Amino acid sequence: MGHVGTAEESLSDQGLLRLVWAQRAMPALAHISERFERTRPLAGLRIVAALHVTAETANLMLVLRAGGADLHLAAANPLSTQDDVVAVLAHRYGIDVQARRGADRATYDQHLERALATGPHLVLDDGCDLVGRLHTTHLDLLPAVQGGCEQTTTGVLRLRAMSAESALRFPVVAVNDSGIQQSFANRHGTGQSTVDAILRSTNVLLAGRTVVVAGFGNCGKGVADRARGLGASVIVTEVDPTRALEAAMAGFQVLPMCDAAAEGDVFVTVTGSRGVLAERHFAVMKDNAILANSGHFDLEIDVAWLRAHCVDVHPEIRPHVDEYLLAGGRRLLVLAEGRLVNLAAAEGHPPAVMDVSYAGQALCVEWLAANAGTLAPGVYDVPTEIDDGLAMLQLDAMGVRIDTLDTAQEAYLTSWRNGG
Amino acid sequence: MTQPIGTDYKVADVSLAAFGRKEIQLAEHEMPGLMSIREEYADAQPLSGARITGSLHMTVQTAVLIETLTSLGAEVRWASCNIFSTQDHAAAAVAVGPEGTPENPSGVPVFAWKGETLPEYWWCTRQALLWPEADGGHTGPNMILDDGGDATMLVHRGASYEKAGVVPNPDTADSEEFEVFLTLLTESLAEDWQRWTNIAAGIKGVTEETTTGVLRLYELAKTGDLLFPAINVNDSVTKSKFDNLYGCRHSLIDGINRATDVMIGGKVAVVFGYGDVGKGCAESLRGQGARVIVTEIDPICALQAAMEGYQVSTLEDVVETADIFITSTGNKDIIMAADMARMKQGAIVGNIGHFDNEIDIAGLPRGGAERIKVKPQVDEWVFPDGHSIIVLSEGRLLNLGNATGHPSFVMSNSFSNQTIAQIELFTKNDEYKKQVYVLSKQLDEKVARMHLDALGVKLTTLTKEQAAYIGVDVAGPYKSDHYRY
Repeated sequence: MGHVGTAEESLSDQGLLRLVWAQRAMPALAHISERFERTRPLAGLRIVAALHVTAETANLMLVLRAGGADLHLAAANPLSTQDDVVAVLAHRYGIDVQARRGADRATYDQHLERALATGPHLVLDDGCDLVGRLHTTHLDLLPAVQGGCEQTTTGVLRLRAMSAESALRFPVVAVNDSGIQQSFANRHGTGQSTVDAILRSTNVLLAGRTVVVAGFGNCGKGVADRARGLGASVIVTEVDPTRALEAAMAGFQVLPMCDAAAEGDVFVTVTGSRGVLAERHFAVMKDNAILANSGHFDLEIDVAWLRAHCVDVHPEIRPHVDEYLLAGGRRLLVLAEGRLVNLAAAEGHPPAVMDVSYAGQALCVEWLAANAGTLAPGVYDVPTEIDDGLAMLQLDAMGVRIDTLDTAQEAYLTSWRNGG
Repeated sequence: MTQPIGTDYKVADVSLAAFGRKEIQLAEHEMPGLMSIREEYADAQPLSGARITGSLHMTVQTAVLIETLTSLGAEVRWASCNIFSTQDHAAAAVAVGPEGTPENPSGVPVFAWKGETLPEYWWCTRQALLWPEADGGHTGPNMILDDGGDATMLVHRGASYEKAGVVPNPDTADSEEFEVFLTLLTESLAEDWQRWTNIAAGIKGVTEETTTGVLRLYELAKTGDLLFPAINVNDSVTKSKFDNLYGCRHSLIDGINRATDVMIGGKVAVVFGYGDVGKGCAESLRGQGARVIVTEIDPICALQAAMEGYQVSTLEDVVETADIFITSTGNKDIIMAADMARMKQGAIVGNIGHFDNEIDIAGLPRGGAERIKVKPQVDEWVFPDGHSIIVLSEGRLLNLGNATGHPSFVMSNSFSNQTIAQIELFTKNDEYKKQVYVLSKQLDEKVARMHLDALGVKLTTLTKEQAAYIGVDVAGPYKSDHYRY
């Protein structure tokens, strides 16, 4: 029996059902698990993971354990934890899980600290929490760390900044930046689950409404497409001219947020930046505008300003919906306190999406373990063979067949001498 | 008036007939409805004795319609219903006929070419309505197949002015086209003061193709001025919900691309009117990546547009910022010259509604704008301040003027309705009063059914129990008359 941060054993059965349900849609992980059981590539390695504690993550944990790892899991976000999953991992599988849904800031910190204190060889990060702590408050643990994987855009941004300053002390694979992860997790996963979360929490009819999507990266593209598909008129805001042009060419109206703020009925921030919706925007928004964030951190919507300056707050007028009453009588509805709405108010990425991400994590962990000691500190892209392998695993599972280059074609594509 | 047999037609170039025939054969393959009607009625020859005057865009698809009518026993004379919409090779092939040669034509008398002047246009309409007789005189048709109602209007106005004994002075006309129209009737009354009265008396009915013509017919019926029964083909479900919607969805961007080759993705396009035509236009522009703004006067259509995610705004709000303007209202004076003067450099203006009065082309030169012909049916209008816009097809139907109109398959639906309506009115004439009718639901469903095989559609059949449960016959009709599809 591992440490049980929190969850009650009685939730374990329900957690098992969800874990098994997710497993159905995670064929790539199942494939890797079988291989890991035979080859035990992670034997003797202690892995600390700070991830969203969901049924899909539970399946990753079981795969890593099948590979022989000693596992310690903490929550990457206090609102995304599924307590029944904590229960089944802890009570049925004996994995150390430090997480409880709705934990306050101090408890959340304590959970991360407890997991880190075990002294990891490898870290799995989602938002650079563990890597950040290791490089600031836990320098003593650094020498033992062989490498890490980063799951999300926000974390990769920070890692690259660290690497640029030569501050990063071990190799980290940017799992987020793999082509297939970008497509699956960000575009399709965030796209679907964000819209799902807005519908579940508000039941708003999107047809005929104006949805403002801040950021037209992969997540923003996914959200914008789906909002349009439901009949919304979609406005995109961007800071990057290339992406803004992409949005315009896809037929979306592109406006500065100051102009879009007055138009929108629903706002979704997916920028990875901060202060995307702030005082000057709140000032012109319509009564009953809905504000949601699907970017990693809760800084994209300046909820702190709303808390400090509103006339009144009506928390949880529905689950995950807080109503802020502004001077002058307008109301703004903030979903999930401005935290990742797709995880807080829906179920996060569907398991099929997480299958790709986590199969990538598992294979990258294996790659890091196999190459321990040979990799210089820095940020690494997912090795191409892993990326291609991930795609093939998915295609096999979907029953999609593809063509193979013949030798003449391969030669043609690789020779600069062949002209027309 | 009478011409020797074989020369009773006027087309641009009869030597184009072979090319036209090839295109007609390709179109026949894409028009399964018309071809199955030919087969079904081959023996019965239900239109034997019918003298049909058609006024409808003289395209390849119309050629298949015309030859369907003749294969059912009808005699036919034809004019186009738009000065730009004729496909000259199709007109030539119809005049020459499947058995004839350019030297020895044996087809249907056609009076149509691309780029008619207004006087030529109305001359063509008149020629199609006057049926030469052996004695050198002429009679009229006993059926009209109309698109937009011009042939019907010529007969009705002619008869009405003959009754009054006078035609209004052409100088009092409010448009150039009406002036031409009144001039023609003035001359006609001088030649024969009972011509249109006599022709009207011989007409058993008209089948009307489009929204605009249908509007005219209902007005005539309302005032008791309709001279013969009419079938509103436009409002068959298999017409308006297919031709207007899917046809325009296809041919609008085809016309814009051929005329301008402008990149549509990223542009802001304004669609005026969100009826069936506007819906198809908005969808096709969005499908190419344009951001589409809709204008409407009808709250229901406006709400439909909003629920589809289109911005709904007014001309006033978007005239200075949008890139592409398409009118599809069936109304008039939608975009005026003063509006066009405010548009940004290079804005593209076109109309896909039936008539050319949605866009105020005549006002452009009056306001000092200068016309530079870029190529046929594409004009640049330069305003006195030096900036310019592009106007397609002089404000006439751009999908026909700049491209080739609707594709054959969708026209097969419309024209199957036309053919069935002609058979209905001609063979059961005593069942119809001087009113406007729509085809029965059974016939509508029949037209749809005729097109399923070509698409590989597999229909499910109701069991008797299921049919009873929803209160319909196993063989249809499956919907009540007020069902909106």
